[in-house]
Amino acid sequence: MGSAEVSRREFVKSAAAAAAAAVVPGAAIARGAWAGGTESIRIGVIGCGGRGTGAAINALEADPATRIVALGDLFADRVESSRKHLAEAGEFGDRARVSPERCFTGFDAYQRVLEAGVDAVILATPPHFRPAHFAAAVAARKHVFMEKPVAVDAPGVRMVLEAANAAGAAGLCVVAGTQRRHEASYLAAMQRIREGALGRIVSARCYWNQGGLWVHRRKPEYSDMEWQVRNWLYFCWLSGDHIVEQHVHNLDVVNWAIGSHPERCLGMGGRQVRTGEEYGNIFDHFTVEYVYPGGEHVMSMCRQIEGTSPRCEEVIHGAQGTAVLRPGSARITGAAEWRFAEKNNNPYVQEHADLLAAIRSGRPVNEARQVAESTLTAIMGRMSAYTGQEVTWEQALQSEWRLGPETYEFGDLPVDEAPVPGRTRLL
Amino acid sequence: MQYAAVLAAGSLAVAAFAEADGAPPPGGFTQAVPGAAATIEMVPVPTPDGAGTIWMSSTEITWDVYDVFVYGLEEGEKGSGGADAVTRPSRPYIPPDRGYGHAGHPAISMTAHGAQEFCRWLSERTGRRYRLPTEAEWEHACRAGSDGAYCFGDDEGALGQFAWYSENAEGRTHPVATKAPNAWGLYDMHGNVAEWAIGADGKAVTRGGSFMDGAAGCRSGAREVPTRAWNASDPQVPKSRWWLADAPFVGFRVVCEAGESSKGPEPEGDDGQR
Repeated sequence: MGSAEVSRREFVKSAAAAAAAAVVPGAAIARGAWAGGTESIRIGVIGCGGRGTGAAINALEADPATRIVALGDLFADRVESSRKHLAEAGEFGDRARVSPERCFTGFDAYQRVLEAGVDAVILATPPHFRPAHFAAAVAARKHVFMEKPVAVDAPGVRMVLEAANAAGAAGLCVVAGTQRRHEASYLAAMQRIREGALGRIVSARCYWNQGGLWVHRRKPEYSDMEWQVRNWLYFCWLSGDHIVEQHVHNLDVVNWAIGSHPERCLGMGGRQVRTGEEYGNIFDHFTVEYVYPGGEHVMSMCRQIEGTSPRCEEVIHGAQGTAVLRPGSARITGAAEWRFAEKNNNPYVQEHADLLAAIRSGRPVNEARQVAESTLTAIMGRMSAYTGQEVTWEQALQSEWRLGPETYEFGDLPVDEAPVPGRTRLL
Repeated sequence: MQYAAVLAAGSLAVAAFAEADGAPPPGGFTQAVPGAAATIEMVPVPTPDGAGTIWMSSTEITWDVYDVFVYGLEEGEKGSGGADAVTRPSRPYIPPDRGYGHAGHPAISMTAHGAQEFCRWLSERTGRRYRLPTEAEWEHACRAGSDGAYCFGDDEGALGQFAWYSENAEGRTHPVATKAPNAWGLYDMHGNVAEWAIGADGKAVTRGGSFMDGAAGCRSGAREVPTRAWNASDPQVPKSRWWLADAPFVGFRVVCEAGESSKGPEPEGDDGQR
């Protein structure tokens, strides 16, 4: 029944497996101050909303010698509420107490956090800012936990890929918030798929269809910039649209199962129900067909429309069987029938446990490239749906379609029109 | 079908027509829900002291009805009433049905707060007094006159005729009222989903076990006290007051008592930041 306890023994064991899988060949083994030790790891949080604060708590739960030492956010009220929730979380005592002089606000708060004597950072701002924050964290030689998605456009993905290589060369550890990669049910299923339980993979389907999410309504005192960042889900330049912000989880699982990113796609979508100003300029539904290098065809569907049938899962079809995967549940039918019947872990704690164990062991884990590829998988689907054109991986990767303002300041910021397939041009 | 006779007997206890809102008809009634195609069947059950009658939904509340509350699907419908006193649940980031099935399946994963706010909303919308059952009411209704371990006696071997539990449920919820009802026309009191009820101390517990529990966990006396583990993997802080990330086995049914609904105290505001 879903207890979240992740025992130290369990997490060290699975962290070793995860680290072994993702070790960069030939990378220097960083024998840091922690190798085999139990000294404190000092963590800064960049982006102090509900998820950033939640991730900080998860890191405290994952390893008894972590401390949250600095907080940064665009908004003072967010930093303050995060500081309060951490202090009030109770069982962590001083490990969760951040002094006011280590709390930073503004567009450059991330730099102040990186300079605040931290060993690792949690990157949990709206996705638009992730590439710059990740690059800066790597340049400052910090270990990184970064939420998904890791970019909203191709220029951002290229920046993440470049920083991923730099992180590898420096022996830094990077874990992404695609938590299914750390979830016991998914790991058990993927192991079976690797061992041939489905035979050759021939196709897949993945879904994130649900109702709507929170909306942050505009207040008179907000500038355009403040309102958009607070209501970031609905502005493509900030979230990447829901296919990138949310459906990236499912696309990541498909890439994981097939062992590759797609080579081309054809998508469609629209903005049919959420048409009000508070919903910015994103779509409310997408369907994309992806084609992978081995000829595997993948059908992807995502929708955020209320009163519609929900579905959130990945289905992997092989020549000899089918796997249906959902959080906490995995089932294989066909030649090698199997169902996940063990106790699941809490993947939101496990991802930090795996990161922190890798830091301590000196055997770097680096998930930056895989999550960048999954992010671009979603972005190329969006590009295809927005324009109505078929899009190849190379087109997507080399795209100069950059989203968002050139500089960041509170003030006027007109909202781009929602895209119109057939008229919106592929850039 | 083997249970056809039992099913028919159960539904005979229910007046199969929609009543205008007002005092509950003694023989039971069909509660229409603004914004929902589905209705709620309410059957009379004696109070534990035997002195009175309350009406209990013959099934667990389904998504067909709970979705209307969550998403405000009744807004704008004629007769939907003012929305001022209604607090809506936060929008869940994952489909809370867990892929077990939606239409016709019991709504799951809601906190006791969510279930209670649903009752407040339903009362507002219908003019009747809906609430969660007390533990005493729930157990009395579950037993339906039986003093055995189950509503039908002590034979565990018969449980599969009445309940979706770990032996037959295949790890998921099932559409409500697809097993036999008890003697008072109540379905799925054992199993399918564990149901919120209010204890003597005023705190919510769950009763009756779920699709995840074995036979012993589905007895008339089975109860569980919620713990932090039921929402441990909500990745947001503060954690949701509306949804339980790790309790897909929890649902509820409602009771209605005589009298008209009165507007209760204003509910607490929600920060909307889930």
